[in-house]
Amino acid sequence: MRPSPRSRTPYERLQLRDIRNTSTFRLTLLLGLVALVGVVMLTALIYLLSARELSARSDSILRAQAAQLMTNPVASMPGAVRLAIARSGGSGFNYFGLLDADRRRIAGTLSGASGFRIDHPKEIPARPGHHGPIRELAVRLPTGEILLVGRDITPIVDLRWRVTLVLIASAGVIALSIVTAAILLSVAPLRRVATLQRTAQEIAAGHLDRRMPVLGRGDELDLLAGTVNSMIDEVGRVIGQVKSVTDAIAHDLRTPLTRMRSHLDRARRSDDIASATAERLDLAIADLDTVLERFTALLRISEIEAGSRRAGFADIALDPLLKSLVDLYRPLAEERGISIGLQRLPGLAVHGDRSLLFEALSNLIDNAIKFAPQNGHVALSVTSEKGSVAIEVRDNGTGIPTDQRQSVLRRFDRGSAANEIPGSGLGLSVVAAILHLHQFTLALDDAAPGLIVRILVPDQSRPLIQP
Amino acid sequence: MARILVIEDDTATAQEIVTELGAHGHETLHADNGDLGLEKATREPFDLITLDRMLPGIDGLTLVERLRERRIHVPVLMISALSDVDERIAGLRAGGDDYLTKPFASNEMAMRVEVLLRRQAQQPAEEAVLRVGEIEIDLIRRKVKVDGEPVRLLHMELRLLEFLARNAGDIVSRKIIFEKVWGYYFDPGANLINVHIARLRKKLDRPGKPSAIVTVKGEGYRLDAV
Repeated sequence: MRPSPRSRTPYERLQLRDIRNTSTFRLTLLLGLVALVGVVMLTALIYLLSARELSARSDSILRAQAAQLMTNPVASMPGAVRLAIARSGGSGFNYFGLLDADRRRIAGTLSGASGFRIDHPKEIPARPGHHGPIRELAVRLPTGEILLVGRDITPIVDLRWRVTLVLIASAGVIALSIVTAAILLSVAPLRRVATLQRTAQEIAAGHLDRRMPVLGRGDELDLLAGTVNSMIDEVGRVIGQVKSVTDAIAHDLRTPLTRMRSHLDRARRSDDIASATAERLDLAIADLDTVLERFTALLRISEIEAGSRRAGFADIALDPLLKSLVDLYRPLAEERGISIGLQRLPGLAVHGDRSLLFEALSNLIDNAIKFAPQNGHVALSVTSEKGSVAIEVRDNGTGIPTDQRQSVLRRFDRGSAANEIPGSGLGLSVVAAILHLHQFTLALDDAAPGLIVRILVPDQSRPLIQP
Repeated sequence: MARILVIEDDTATAQEIVTELGAHGHETLHADNGDLGLEKATREPFDLITLDRMLPGIDGLTLVERLRERRIHVPVLMISALSDVDERIAGLRAGGDDYLTKPFASNEMAMRVEVLLRRQAQQPAEEAVLRVGEIEIDLIRRKVKVDGEPVRLLHMELRLLEFLARNAGDIVSRKIIFEKVWGYYFDPGANLINVHIARLRKKLDRPGKPSAIVTVKGEGYRLDAV
């Protein structure tokens, strides 16, 4: 596969949905909302108190004006009202009216048409073209007439309207600022969590040498990363111990066992041994060979897992590799009456170690031939989609039950179907180690009947994780 | 009989090699460190050297490089505890002719020695035709005849036969066959090579005559002149 523009993993793409779910976002939003409600309530209180104060002041002016008018004798009240109107000079600021006991207008500009209660000031809405909003006070004269005193309160109503507008606008701006702050505050931790998540996935994939990034801020993410790192250290140490014990046993026993085999072999080759002894020697040599084979496979896995082979990686053309494998295994398959087919897809290449991939695929084909029934079929195929490649080895044998598909990849685990078939139980472990080194994935699937072993090669235009 | 220099610091391994090669009728000389080995290899003529890679004094890789610098082209079988393919390649690049990993079966070591000695003997006159008994391999036209009759072989069958023919009379193990014919260094299991040999045998065998390819139980195969 040739390099193509690097595609981003889901973890690198921060979406609003991811941000919305973070606790930082929610917490910031909650705190912001509390602050917003506080600000709004405070502003509203100030507004209410101011509005009430302004109304009270208007009312006291109205009362003062009414009291001043009432100092006139009742008989001259219509004249006093007209005089007051004249004094206000048609400013449209003060309004007066005199009604008789039956609420019919005697004099003035106020008619009381919109209704009133004695001594209870009320607001009369503006009548465009006639007057603005008016605060009106009705006072009953001792003789039963009603004096109406009004005052234009346009500045107060305007002020109230402006204050309300400012309140709504500032609430909006504050809310927007809170959301922006919540997003900005969430992005940085979310990025860190994404990095932690990616590292955790690499560790879970078996890269026990990876560690969670610790920024040294001493925050909760640093604490978590530090704890996980200590845990991985411990896991790595335990795995290393178990492995080194296994390897040491395999390594240390190989030399004396090989020597033992040489002694037996030399004894077997001497001319003066009885045939019964020769037979026993052959059996002993065969058993020793089995043990040595297993030790070799164990050490081979360690060698591959040590990961020192990546320097020799190159682009490998898949088609000739698979064709040479099929040529190598066809005689073995045909001897058992099994047909072996290759669905070719020329032009594909993967990045890796040719001889290790050949070894891994050899193991898989050898297994497929072992487990395919008499006159069965083994099929190799390659598919490619969006830069990824899948190499498939399929047989029509008994397959592996779903619950055993993970365990057969472990050393010495052969699965229940393999009881009758010779083998070390290390073949698939070798395959798994080789694929792990390549960062390829191994997937076992049901061919109904039979097994599909799939090697999944990720889009290699993305840089591989360096060990 | 060949003269073989065994350069090996581990006494038990050296003893093993000396005994096995002695049993095959070769004369051996032992050097237990790199400097002594280089001195002996430079001063005296040998038909082959078995060389441990890790040695006191100069190490195996340097030793074989020095030999090649001095135009001493004696075949070298490198023996090492390092089994990785990269190590093998490094050993062969330095000038080694074959590479064997410790621990090894002594008959396997002896087989490799025979293959190298045989190759050395054949080198001066690279034949156009290989003949083993009634089998005739035309190396240029890639044709095979048995008893004068042409036999059609597939590409890898021909390479297998050529390898057996070049080592005719000597036993070669399945592992050596897989390495030298197919070029891979892992154990593909006994059956795989067996069936390839069986197919080749089927094509070469003539009625009433013993098979030219002999199976030596527990060891490998041998092509005999019949």
